Amino acid sequence: MDRKPILSIEQLSKHFGGIHALKGIDLHITAGEILGLIGPNGAGKTALINTITGFYRADSGHIHFMGQPLIGKSLHEIGRLGIGRTFQNIRLFKRMSVLENVMVAQKTFAAHPWKAFWGFTQRSAAVDEAMQWLHTMHLADKADVPAQTLSYGEARRLEIARALAGYPALLLLDEPAAGMNETETEDLIRDIHTARKWVKAMMLIEHDMGLIRSLSDRVVAMDDGRKIAEGSASEVLDHPEVQKAYLGDDE
Amino acid sequence: MLAGQIVNGLVSGAMYALVAIGFTLIIGVLDKLNFTHPEVFMFGGYVGLVALPFMPVAGAFVLAFAVGGLLGVLTEWAAFRRFVGGDARTTAALSSMALGLIVTDLVHKVWGTEPLRLPNMTGWLAESFSILGVNFLNLQMVLLAIMLALMWGLHHVIARTRMGRQIRAVAESSAHAALLGVNVLRVNQAVFFISSGLASIAGLMLALRADTVSPDLGLTFGLKALAVMAIGGMGDMRGAVLAGLGIGVLEALMFHLGWGRLGELTVWAAMILTLLLKPAGLFASGHHGQEQRV
Amino acid sequence: MIADHLFFTCINILLAWSVYAGLLTGSLSFAQGAFMAVGCYASGYFTAKMGMPMLPATGLAALIAAAIAALVGYPALRLRGIYLILATLGLTFCIRVLLENMEFLGGIGGFGGMKGGDLPKAAVAVALIGLLLWLLSISPLQRVFDAVREDDRVAAALGIHVTAIRLIGFAAGAAIASVAGMLYGHYMSFVRPENFDVTLSIYVVLYMVLGGVNNLYGSVLGAAIMTLLPEYIRFLADWRPTVFGAAVLLLLLFRPDGLLAYRPLTALARHGRTPLRSEV
Repeated sequence: MDRKPILSIEQLSKHFGGIHALKGIDLHITAGEILGLIGPNGAGKTALINTITGFYRADSGHIHFMGQPLIGKSLHEIGRLGIGRTFQNIRLFKRMSVLENVMVAQKTFAAHPWKAFWGFTQRSAAVDEAMQWLHTMHLADKADVPAQTLSYGEARRLEIARALAGYPALLLLDEPAAGMNETETEDLIRDIHTARKWVKAMMLIEHDMGLIRSLSDRVVAMDDGRKIAEGSASEVLDHPEVQKAYLGDDE
Repeated sequence: MLAGQIVNGLVSGAMYALVAIGFTLIIGVLDKLNFTHPEVFMFGGYVGLVALPFMPVAGAFVLAFAVGGLLGVLTEWAAFRRFVGGDARTTAALSSMALGLIVTDLVHKVWGTEPLRLPNMTGWLAESFSILGVNFLNLQMVLLAIMLALMWGLHHVIARTRMGRQIRAVAESSAHAALLGVNVLRVNQAVFFISSGLASIAGLMLALRADTVSPDLGLTFGLKALAVMAIGGMGDMRGAVLAGLGIGVLEALMFHLGWGRLGELTVWAAMILTLLLKPAGLFASGHHGQEQRV
Repeated sequence: MIADHLFFTCINILLAWSVYAGLLTGSLSFAQGAFMAVGCYASGYFTAKMGMPMLPATGLAALIAAAIAALVGYPALRLRGIYLILATLGLTFCIRVLLENMEFLGGIGGFGGMKGGDLPKAAVAVALIGLLLWLLSISPLQRVFDAVREDDRVAAALGIHVTAIRLIGFAAGAAIASVAGMLYGHYMSFVRPENFDVTLSIYVVLYMVLGGVNNLYGSVLGAAIMTLLPEYIRFLADWRPTVFGAAVLLLLLFRPDGLLAYRPLTALARHGRTPLRSEV
């Protein structure tokens, strides 16, 4: 398997007004791995994803994805390059159906308005492909309901299906298990394992340490905008600085 | 002549500023566009038409402020209160447009569609004086003075009174303000009262200066005030004043240079330039215009 | 007489659709007056002064309108929707002032000489544009539009060029309005810049709101009601703005989506599939 990093971040910094969210982060993700990202609330984990994907503009530093610099690129350029993500606060297209949420992510149409207009001729092929993603995430029976009627667990899986439908090389998941109970979390683990087959690498932000242990090949811990530890799940979770950062923090 | 034109421009600018302040206050506090505002401005002139035969000009101003303020409270109730949530901005804008249509139509029905003359001004206000050979009207000075007084008054209210603090709190975040015990509804009503009152006064000012009132002025003038607001920065009162005065003078200069009706385009050209170069507004402190781009 | 009413109903349907096209991508535009004027004057110039036949004149005028839309829209569409509202209001106002100052187009006095507009042509225009909008509604592009409208940043993260999509919607709306303008001008034979003002734009937006913003049929309903009813009910004609304004106010309070608040093509019909029973 390829050991080259598909995403490498150097000295990434971002601040808003008084808050210094990222203070010179160095990080890389190698092809084939799932990188777990942990840290207390406010550590900058979501800010990191937002800066990688273009939701935030970095103040300084470098990000390279498959050889391409990401700094300065717009949201849609980064999306087309092959980075998919989910959102901590779930941002589905609420009034569209579950199936439509996945279909809109299909790059043939998303990136080409002209093709999209005449695309009604390829409707069944597109629908079948989207249904495949729903099957993968065990949402096929909800295909035609509006996305806002989904349960929490279903909504999160839909976000993953939607992200996958664009065939991303890198998938970034932001606290997919937040608010889930045990069964839902197990379903999620199962579905993330499946998703793994479709992408080259994944980064997973999570507070649920069980999830981190069972899914991550490698873990990075952040606190206060900085990387404080890196290694295997056990190494990082037993690291004294990591434990200190979480002191008083409920899991 | 030039000096006279500039004073003229300042007076126009003062009116733009007053109306723009109203727009920008409501954007800043409620984050919505109030399209009934131009018609309240227009109505101020009609308050003058009705009141001036019976009372001195000063009284007419007070009455205009009161009537305008009440119209503002009515607008808040009819077109803004119900709408919260995602599409609220659009719905409120459309609602206030519909309300504006009603106001204009009622004015048409009562006073007709043609411009009407105000009763002739007599006394001190109609006179003029000269400095260095340039003629100035007493009226112009009075209008400018009124504008300055209103600006100062508004600043004082916002910066130093309890209501002003509450207004600023709601402008920051209505949710947080509510948690802190602020009665958001009262604040909204106050904001509408103030902004509409100011617009009404501006309408009376225009009517006095032009000697006529007309139902069409609302949209023509009011839209320009919208552009002034955009130039000054949304939600930024100081920006609205500076932009208003600036545009007033600029327009006067364009007319002076002989551009005629094309001078009307000045404000829109300025707005387009602002959107292209500094979308947050030329004078804005910037907090309303951050992560705007997609 | 009824042909007259129906003709103007067609014009208003087209104008309402021009707003709808922009609204599909989340852009509320008040530029209908401006683009109607562009379509009217441009096509009128081509037919009356240059002897071009109607069809190519219309096409050319529509292109001009779309080009102006792209030019004006580009700075405004990248920012918040509120800026587009301002820019389009300003555009309508400015186009009117410009036309009043262009003597070769008749200036304030007006421009005339075009003819040939009639109900059959208007009906054909409505049918064709309606067909295009319907095709759009069953195509993947509709979903792209929906996504841009629902959450433009997430849509962008999925690879959608949001500004381009917004420009498409806005320019399409401009082209539709220009067709309406062409028909209007060639029917009236004589127009003045004051016919295409901000009030017109506001009315058209409110037609669409009245009928329903969720689908293309709402515009038909709203335009038809507000154009035809006043012809037959005297009271409505005299008090049109008040009744209209009050109707829209009440509607927005109780049914913010307009009279027709449903999406006409359910997911089932749109995807041409039978509901899932056997699939899992």
